[in-house]
Amino acid sequence: MKALRQKIDKITEAGLVILMALLVLDVLWQVASRYILRSPSSFTDELARYLLIWVALIGAAYATGKNMHLAIDILPGKLEGAKAVLLHRFIYFLILIFAALVMVVGGIRLVYISFALGQLAATLQVSLAYVYISLPVSGLLICFYCIHEMIKGRAEV
Amino acid sequence: MNWTEIAILVLTFVVLLGIGVPVAYSIGLSSLVTILITMDPVIAFTTLAQRMATGIDSFSLLAIPFFVLAGQLMNKGGIASRLIDLARAMVGPLPGGLAFINILACMLFGAISGSSVAAASAIGGFMVPRMEKEGYDKAFGAAVNLTSASTGLVIPPSNILIVFSLASGGVSIAALFLAGYIPGLLIGLALMIVAGVVALKKGYKSSETTSVKIFFKSFFGALPSLLLLVIVIGGIIAGIFTATEASAIAVLYTLILSMIVYKEVKYKDLPKILLDTTMTTTIVLMLVATSMGMSWVLSYENIPQGVSDFLLNVSDNPIVILLIINLLLLAVGTFMDMTPAVLIFTPIFLPVVVQMGMNPIHFGIVMVMNLCIGLCTPPVGSLLFVGCSVADLSIQKVLKPLLPLFLAMIAVLLLVTYVPALSLWLPELFGY
Repeated sequence: MKALRQKIDKITEAGLVILMALLVLDVLWQVASRYILRSPSSFTDELARYLLIWVALIGAAYATGKNMHLAIDILPGKLEGAKAVLLHRFIYFLILIFAALVMVVGGIRLVYISFALGQLAATLQVSLAYVYISLPVSGLLICFYCIHEMIKGRAEV
Repeated sequence: MNWTEIAILVLTFVVLLGIGVPVAYSIGLSSLVTILITMDPVIAFTTLAQRMATGIDSFSLLAIPFFVLAGQLMNKGGIASRLIDLARAMVGPLPGGLAFINILACMLFGAISGSSVAAASAIGGFMVPRMEKEGYDKAFGAAVNLTSASTGLVIPPSNILIVFSLASGGVSIAALFLAGYIPGLLIGLALMIVAGVVALKKGYKSSETTSVKIFFKSFFGALPSLLLLVIVIGGIIAGIFTATEASAIAVLYTLILSMIVYKEVKYKDLPKILLDTTMTTTIVLMLVATSMGMSWVLSYENIPQGVSDFLLNVSDNPIVILLIINLLLLAVGTFMDMTPAVLIFTPIFLPVVVQMGMNPIHFGIVMVMNLCIGLCTPPVGSLLFVGCSVADLSIQKVLKPLLPLFLAMIAVLLLVTYVPALSLWLPELFGY
């Protein structure tokens, strides 16, 4: 499990760096096409917004695994030993519920609906399902991180 | 307005937050619990998921990762020390000079980097130990540092004003940026006055000297960083580019500056910088996503309408209502992070104040100032935490010197609330 997690971490990191670099290049291209080439590019605006959704959701999953989201850690800081481990597991259990129900179940249903209705992105002309699929992907990643945090040994918490 | 739903929402949120569930998930989970009372589960899951995705589907929000990235690139390249040098040449010789340097450098750094937390740690990490060494009370140094770091959120470019523009349904970012200048500078000025009084009372002297020559030398040293502000703000105000495009240009500019001119950033540093930027950004964006979910739940339960009716029932005097809203926002700011607070409370309060004839731009500035104060107060002020940890002090020790600075911020807040021209004069001058 630990080895698998390290592998998933590496892949997620690489994916995030690439997505972010693409995002910067995309918007710079938009500026360049508008002011230098004088023919504004039509797809960059939409592509940038969809890349941002992907970056945000995948990044949020990664941040969950690294425990980087803002939290009030007064209570976790006060507890020690078994109680601290229990609280740690309980917090990740709650996050797991949210990710599984809203992001995975809700997300998959959203992907299904946009496929079924044939909803297309206005200029890119691809199915909106490709945007929404970021929700279950991120949700599954969060579930994985939560399960790992819940089962890992007491010493590692 | 349905009191049961509100009670459940607030209660679950507070409990989740209290036991240490991350803010973004506390917002998401409490919204989920509340909506499940009245809605079919599968529809609730799907709609919440959709609100999360469409909540971050905004071209304006793209400016956030880019301003963060530009700030990261600048931080790598000694910008903090160059700004401290400039501040030293400008205000160093005054009595209590180091406190003034701290405030001015925090304002400059906060404006350029767009991050108040970065300002508190980068400037405070250098200035607070120096203040202690020259005989200043360390807690006073930390208090000055963390309060002045909040000004960067009001002085543009400011990410939180971009978030407000989103929450308010499209108030011009350029107008909000222009509106932030005078209130931001006023907070800085008020903090300097308090710091000056304390310095005179305690007899803090200054060992700094300055001259026209020193000023120009430090000014030219800091010029490339200051030029960034001119390009970004100038471009946005002149209508040459949007805030997002300006932020992308800021990235290009800082990239050239830090990699080619100063050679402080290498190619191999870039993946790490990009990852850091992504993390800072996604933490904010996940808050945006779940806050948009909560905002939807609130409007589904007709809560904004209820709050509006309630407030207008209490009084029809704009002065009283504004005072109540200020107090509520101050309370919200003490336990809630800025981004969700803006996204959740703007749709609730904005219709009320607009009905009273308040300009949305003016309200945006008032709201952000309120929440800035919340960042500096216990129990949940991120600036308070960072400021204290940089100074290696407990929160209790910093509270006493913090109080007068805190009161000065509230005085400026009231001034800006009741004198609309302070925020609206500049935007109106430029035709917004």
